[in-house]
Amino acid sequence: MNCDCCKKNEAKVQVCDVEQNAVVQQFAICNDCMTLLKRLLFDPATPLGPTSEAVKQVQEMLSSKDKSLTPVEAPGKLTVADKQPEAVPACPSCGMTLAEFKQRGRFGCARDYEIFSAHIDPLLERIHDVTPPQHRGRLPQGEADESVTGKARELAALRNQLDDAVLAEDYERAAQLRDRIAALSSDARSKPGKARKEGP
Amino acid sequence: MKALPPFNHFPRPLGEWLKGQGPESDIVVSTRVRLARNIKAWPFTLRSSPQQREELLLAVFEALKSIHLEKSVVQLRINEVPEVYRDVLVERHLISRELASSEGPRAVVFGRGEMLSIMVNEEDHLRLQWIKSGLDVDRAFRALAKVDQALERRLPYAVSPKYGYLTACPTNVGTGIRVSVMVHLPALTLKEHVQKVFKAAEKMNHAIRGLYGEGTRAFGDFYQVSNQATLGRSEEEIVESVKAILPKILEYERRMRGQIFSDERPMVEDRVFRALATLKNARMLNVQEMMSHLSLVRLGISLGIINDVTLATVNEIFILGQPSHLQREEGREMTPAERDAKRAELVRTRLIAGRN
Ligand SMILES: [Zn+2]
Ligand SMILES: [Zn+2]
Repeated sequence: MNCDCCKKNEAKVQVCDVEQNAVVQQFAICNDCMTLLKRLLFDPATPLGPTSEAVKQVQEMLSSKDKSLTPVEAPGKLTVADKQPEAVPACPSCGMTLAEFKQRGRFGCARDYEIFSAHIDPLLERIHDVTPPQHRGRLPQGEADESVTGKARELAALRNQLDDAVLAEDYERAAQLRDRIAALSSDARSKPGKARKEGP
Repeated sequence: MKALPPFNHFPRPLGEWLKGQGPESDIVVSTRVRLARNIKAWPFTLRSSPQQREELLLAVFEALKSIHLEKSVVQLRINEVPEVYRDVLVERHLISRELASSEGPRAVVFGRGEMLSIMVNEEDHLRLQWIKSGLDVDRAFRALAKVDQALERRLPYAVSPKYGYLTACPTNVGTGIRVSVMVHLPALTLKEHVQKVFKAAEKMNHAIRGLYGEGTRAFGDFYQVSNQATLGRSEEEIVESVKAILPKILEYERRMRGQIFSDERPMVEDRVFRALATLKNARMLNVQEMMSHLSLVRLGISLGIINDVTLATVNEIFILGQPSHLQREEGREMTPAERDAKRAELVRTRLIAGRN
């Protein structure tokens, strides 16, 4: 069955409107259009209207677009209560801007929450139906032992260097790197057992 | 057609969640709990370079080793998994379609009878999931929380006091928890009452959506009930709220089953037995056909009309009859027509072998 929005892709999801305990309208929607639809339904700027209205909006968005554009590229109306998005600086860590977040609906890094805080709170209130948006669940107990992440960094860097050395046919260096990688990755394993096996 | 490369990372028996056991298994197929987590040291996947994704993947493997989980699980780098087998993982609910088709270093770790699965470098760095058969929210949640809490001592998660666990998509932030219960509602669907349930769920801030198969419409009257909100409530409150809505759905479906059975017995029996006859005799079956007939057979089993087929058999056929599973079984790529023939054969033999 073809999607009721774009009439092009294969429908994957069924959505419907209900009134007085009866379905009044049912739609088959493809994955791409569902992404757009979800954005509309989560849009804090509009009250949560019937699905049929959101479907109509998606249809309009698509028909007003150049036919060559895929639905995913259509600007989703993930509206954030904000007048001048340009005035908000981009995230210094990942370069995410408010405009890009609105378009993708995804953050680039953990700092984005802090940076765009004032702009995303209305969105979060709406999505999660909670005012003000405040976490009430658990948090990690105590500080994590960061040696694991540090080690992974080192390992990945060594592996990169190894690839380079092999490419450059610098076999001596490659051998050294291989040893260091082997030593580093066996670190965490049970040391006593290993020591015994390696005895004379 | 091309023969498939050998790939032996799947245990033969299917996952625990397909057993057709557990509480309320006449209606509830499975319970799934999912946690979205990101690790402080790296940008979210969207902004991670291949090098950073590789670092993160190594950190996760290292962490699994340090909590002694690596021995009891299968670790697969998706890039090293031939494509057909990626789809097998998707059909088994071990990975998402997104993880199967995205690029760069990414992995899945699964074990414990396929109840546990951890996707690495999906939209979030980690997607932890626990699936159990039947309605078993508490146990699924507890089991997954244990893995999560073991990992959090090794992997510094990205969190904030205000927003909780930080996720790539704002719909998952806070607890990062999604509790999903897969229910089979053939009677409500038959009587076109399923939307009442949708409405009730929506009011309670829960979502219900249909589940679908390979490019087809209906996935045999299966629906997924899950929490919408992840922020502003504790994990326990979310678990309880999903648990609270289910008895209503179950009671409603059972009432409808009772009603059609007493009021329209010949009609129900006719549909159920025609479905069974088709499955037992068809020589070509597409996925959609298989699903809709199996749905009626499943209804027939729980109404006591069919006694010689088990729920486990029906659940298994649902998965084994999917395109990639068929091709894996056959060991080669197949055309849709070949698959339909193979599917019909599988259904026939399973229905005979799976008798009570
Ligand atoms: Zn569409
Ligand atoms: Zn950022």
